[in-house]
Amino acid sequence: MLSGGADGVVVIYDLENHSRKPHYTCKAVCTVGRSSRHVHKFSVETVQWYPHDTGMFISSSFDKTMKVWDTETLKPAEIFQFVENVYCHQMSPIARKHSLIAVGTKNPKVQLCDLKSGSCIQVLQGHRGEVLSVKWSPRYEYILATASTDSSVRLWDVRRASGSLFTLDQFNGDPSKSSSEAANTAHNGRVNGLCFTGDGLFLLTTGTDDRMRLWETATGKNTLVNYGKVVNESRKGLKFAVSQGCSLEFAFVPCGSSVAVYAVHSGELVTMLKGHYSNVDCCEFHPDYQELYSGGKDSNILAWIPTPRPPDIEEEQDSKKGGSQVALNPAFEDAWSSSDED
Amino acid sequence: MWFRNRSYAAEWRTMNRKRALKCDTFCGKRGRSGAAEPLPAAAGGGGVAAGDRGDRVGGALDIKASLEHIMSLLPGKLWSDTVPRIALKHQLYSLHRDRTRVDRHLNELREQGDVLMFQLGFDSESVAVVFAADFKAKVLAAEVGRATQGPVEKFLNTVLASCCDMSVDETKMLQEFLFADSEITQLVKCGVLTVKDAGSWWLSIPNSGRFTKYFIQGRKAVLGMIRKSKYSEMLKSDLEGRQTTSRVKFHIQYHIHDIVGAELVDCIETTAGVLLRFADS
Repeated sequence: MLSGGADGVVVIYDLENHSRKPHYTCKAVCTVGRSSRHVHKFSVETVQWYPHDTGMFISSSFDKTMKVWDTETLKPAEIFQFVENVYCHQMSPIARKHSLIAVGTKNPKVQLCDLKSGSCIQVLQGHRGEVLSVKWSPRYEYILATASTDSSVRLWDVRRASGSLFTLDQFNGDPSKSSSEAANTAHNGRVNGLCFTGDGLFLLTTGTDDRMRLWETATGKNTLVNYGKVVNESRKGLKFAVSQGCSLEFAFVPCGSSVAVYAVHSGELVTMLKGHYSNVDCCEFHPDYQELYSGGKDSNILAWIPTPRPPDIEEEQDSKKGGSQVALNPAFEDAWSSSDED
Repeated sequence: MWFRNRSYAAEWRTMNRKRALKCDTFCGKRGRSGAAEPLPAAAGGGGVAAGDRGDRVGGALDIKASLEHIMSLLPGKLWSDTVPRIALKHQLYSLHRDRTRVDRHLNELREQGDVLMFQLGFDSESVAVVFAADFKAKVLAAEVGRATQGPVEKFLNTVLASCCDMSVDETKMLQEFLFADSEITQLVKCGVLTVKDAGSWWLSIPNSGRFTKYFIQGRKAVLGMIRKSKYSEMLKSDLEGRQTTSRVKFHIQYHIHDIVGAELVDCIETTAGVLLRFADS
């Protein structure tokens, strides 16, 4: 797992649990520390593995640069320089025909940098405020969503020269519900988080008006699922995640010092994961391990691991080895056992 | 020891079972609190029997019953005959757990023409809900004998009957509904329309200024009671039992539903009941 910190340091962890214990600490495999010549000078905002293998990763930071690193030597192979602070970047996870990195900075123009040629080849104009979050669609390699402080979320087709495809409107184009200032906005405040669902058909957005909204990507329609108040005070982009591979999709959103788990399509708050000592800034979900990783201001990265429920036992012949019907969190399990076998 | 590796999936399943049980007792609580009138038996029974997950046939009726319950919390003697009884949409969220379902059923009721929704103006998110029949009766009663009666009747019969929006704009009024400019001025004068920007108007409830004033005063007073207590939190049962100052003109349950639904306080389940903690953001 790749992680970037507020001190400019980038650390790579090995997530495999080699010890058999339920509580374990992941070891850092390598780091780009403060002593490295190439380390970022200010806070690292976004990190991403090269989508096709782990030989390369890209990190962008408030020191106005985006660096493409070679994992083996931990030296930057390419440095993209920008005029202003870089809030976020992303490379399309499914792209085969292009290797564009979308970059959102303090400038309202979204820049597309090409990895192959090493320069910024395209600019998407349309936003009127800082671009806090950019995300490529996991379904179509040319569709990009961007969120900005001007309260709007735009969807772009990068092959098109004329501008965004459409803007997400929270009132679904109904002029009667909104006041004139709120017309054509996705949120009533800055939009700082974007996440596509695994199949790319829906987009979740969070804003500083303490709301989270679910949109259909094909039409830009607001599905009007009501999640209630999703506390959001982040001045920068908020990184949250949606589960993949579960039949009921969950959104994991950092809310203050805990992580809120919402069922995406019904809007219900499933649970709050408490464990951090300070604000949680980002969440990431590992689809293969089905684990959630969250990082926060307390300098900790926590791994949230679901406990699989033991299969319901139809008949209880021996009550000693029968096992309990209620799933017991192994953290609360008694390690003491009166029988000889463990 | 601080256990951080949570099993959220396991906890979700046990919580799911706990929530299904809580639903049955929840309907019982409604009867116990304050001056709540007994809900119509059909809606109450339907609510308990069907369980809270998934769409229910009686879902919209259930919302209607909750609206009636909330409106019954408004004081009778303070309420003149000119203002219909108003409930706020977010008060329903404190009675029903699934917000998306509440929104959907409320929209169904609105499309059927049973309820009307208005933007109240003091908060961009607060939407007032009134029963259509009540609204029409009260407005007509207030207009009897006045010069504006004609346009108001025309307005009620045409605009309210056909479109369910919260605001109208000039082109719609002039062309679709064939109102004259002078008629629109009269509608604004008697309070059925309120200016939004140049050329568009919010639909509004006439004479609702007093309601809004008392509502905001009462909300501030109740929130102040919670904020002044130690640690800015109070048990809901304590709050219900407290003597309210003269600033609070409505029943305190009305304000409690309001602050819980608008998430101005966090509801925390404790062994002694629900704790309301002031949420400062």
